[in-house]
Amino acid sequence: MKGKGSGAMFLAWNEIKNNRLRFTLVIGVLMLISYLVFFLSGLANGLEQLNREAVDKWEADGVILTEESDLRLQQSILSTDDFDGAGVDEYTELSQLSAIASNGDKKVNVYIFAVEPDSFMMPNVTEGDNFAGRGEVIADDTLKEDGFKIGDELSLSSTDETLEIVGFTDKARFNAAPVLFTDAETLETLHSRKMTEADEDVVNAFIIRTDNLDDVEAAEALQVVDTETFIENLPGYTEQNLTLTLMIYFLFIISAVVLAIFLYVLTIQKISIFGVMKAQGISSRYLAGSVVAQTFLLSLAGVMIGFVLAVITGLFLPAAVPVAFNYLEMLVYGTVLIVVSIIGAFISVQTIVRIDPLKAIGG
Amino acid sequence: MAILELKKVQKTFGSGKTKVEAMKETDFKAGKGELIAVIGPSGSGKSTFLTIAGGLQTPTNGEVVINGTALSDIKEKKRAKLRLKEVGFVLQASNLVPYLNVAQQMHVLDKVKKGNMGREEAEALYQSLGIEHLLYNFPKDLSGGEKQRVAIAKALYTNPSIILADEPTASLDSDRAFEVMGILKEMTKEKQTATIVVTHDTRLINDCDKVYKITDGKMELHEIMRRTT
Repeated sequence: MKGKGSGAMFLAWNEIKNNRLRFTLVIGVLMLISYLVFFLSGLANGLEQLNREAVDKWEADGVILTEESDLRLQQSILSTDDFDGAGVDEYTELSQLSAIASNGDKKVNVYIFAVEPDSFMMPNVTEGDNFAGRGEVIADDTLKEDGFKIGDELSLSSTDETLEIVGFTDKARFNAAPVLFTDAETLETLHSRKMTEADEDVVNAFIIRTDNLDDVEAAEALQVVDTETFIENLPGYTEQNLTLTLMIYFLFIISAVVLAIFLYVLTIQKISIFGVMKAQGISSRYLAGSVVAQTFLLSLAGVMIGFVLAVITGLFLPAAVPVAFNYLEMLVYGTVLIVVSIIGAFISVQTIVRIDPLKAIGG
Repeated sequence: MAILELKKVQKTFGSGKTKVEAMKETDFKAGKGELIAVIGPSGSGKSTFLTIAGGLQTPTNGEVVINGTALSDIKEKKRAKLRLKEVGFVLQASNLVPYLNVAQQMHVLDKVKKGNMGREEAEALYQSLGIEHLLYNFPKDLSGGEKQRVAIAKALYTNPSIILADEPTASLDSDRAFEVMGILKEMTKEKQTATIVVTHDTRLINDCDKVYKITDGKMELHEIMRRTT
């Protein structure tokens, strides 16, 4: 089935050429479906990034939280004494606070992460300087799109203290909100009340790097989870992903059914001509091959146009729409669309095999 | 030597009270270069005869032998191959593929079978059928007579040893009908095929070597034409 001049492609291609309107409609439908699939995959991917990119950046293997936190960072409160690094290569403490930050002009929901300055969680600075003194933060660079700049004084919803943006880092969103990085002392001043006794250092989690999570020894009331499980338990993350993935899978089924119906109707219309060809001795296999070849051409064209349209749409979307294309994933989805279309064509193949040449010639 | 032979072939449909004998026991032979007409009123079993002879349906009893191969010995897949190799059909309804032009109608046969006519031979065929100027036309742009001539070209293109034509002149006026019969006769002699034309049009039988008549499924040799040539 290579090239338009050979084998089963010959019939397939000539029929397409001579029935342009009909086949343009088929391609159009496939194009719209694949456009939607690609767009949804971009959206799913973008929403994932929105939730997890800060975590991915840690390149950590696991997270230690309290047993009773239900894997929610905010709900996990533990002491720095609870873990001494037994069984891990590297570990660092993470404290966080969620707040509404305002530069006087705009208000945004942010996460403030206190990280140890010399740990692997320390973000790379893409613009400006590292935080050094009290009240200084490095901010996720998506805040720039909201009009935040280096030097901005941020007032917070929960305290009278202010923060100053001294630098920006990239890819630092957590659970759909930008992250501000600072040190533990600064974070301490932001808490409106002390969480526990003053002499005890309190953090939300330990972030660990290790080859084997099973070897990690932590205190009784703590649990060690791998990073992926931690991410999946971010509020809304799994629900969101499942919803979009389910939509994409439904679209696969829809495209198979739609194409199957189209091809079936086209095949029904051609029963007499296929019958005559079979009477002549042209094999069912050749005729079926031509329908499959045709489906391949149609779905390939539809998927490619859909892909191009989705990418072009992505370029013109406002930043508020979190579309991020993963080209490898799109390649997989595109291939799946073509494959399910061909599976849809097999209903027509069965019809062709069953055509009785005798009836076709009016015997 | 007989290219096509029907030995004691009989065909019944249904059983019991609804049993219909579409073809009574028939012996039939067709040899190289023979043009044979099968005539009879509609419903007499002409089509049944043609489709059995062409291997499109199997007889209830008896045997069909095409060029030495008994059809009952082989499976449908092989029968399709045998049809492709040995039998050229010229059908009542045009057997042209609507989305292929005349040249492509032949070309598709090259895709599924080897040993078809070479370029020069095919061009000579188109010339003698008077369709050489129509090669890039699609079926919808052809007149009834032109379509029928293309269908004949298509039937002959694979170099078959048997041509089975079902009412090849049905959609044509008298002049065209005689013209098409003339072409079939010419091709039969030139290509040495066994050509069987099923028709209800008795005006056309003068060109034939033998005429069979079917009445109520019973087939009998009606006439052997005498020739001076």
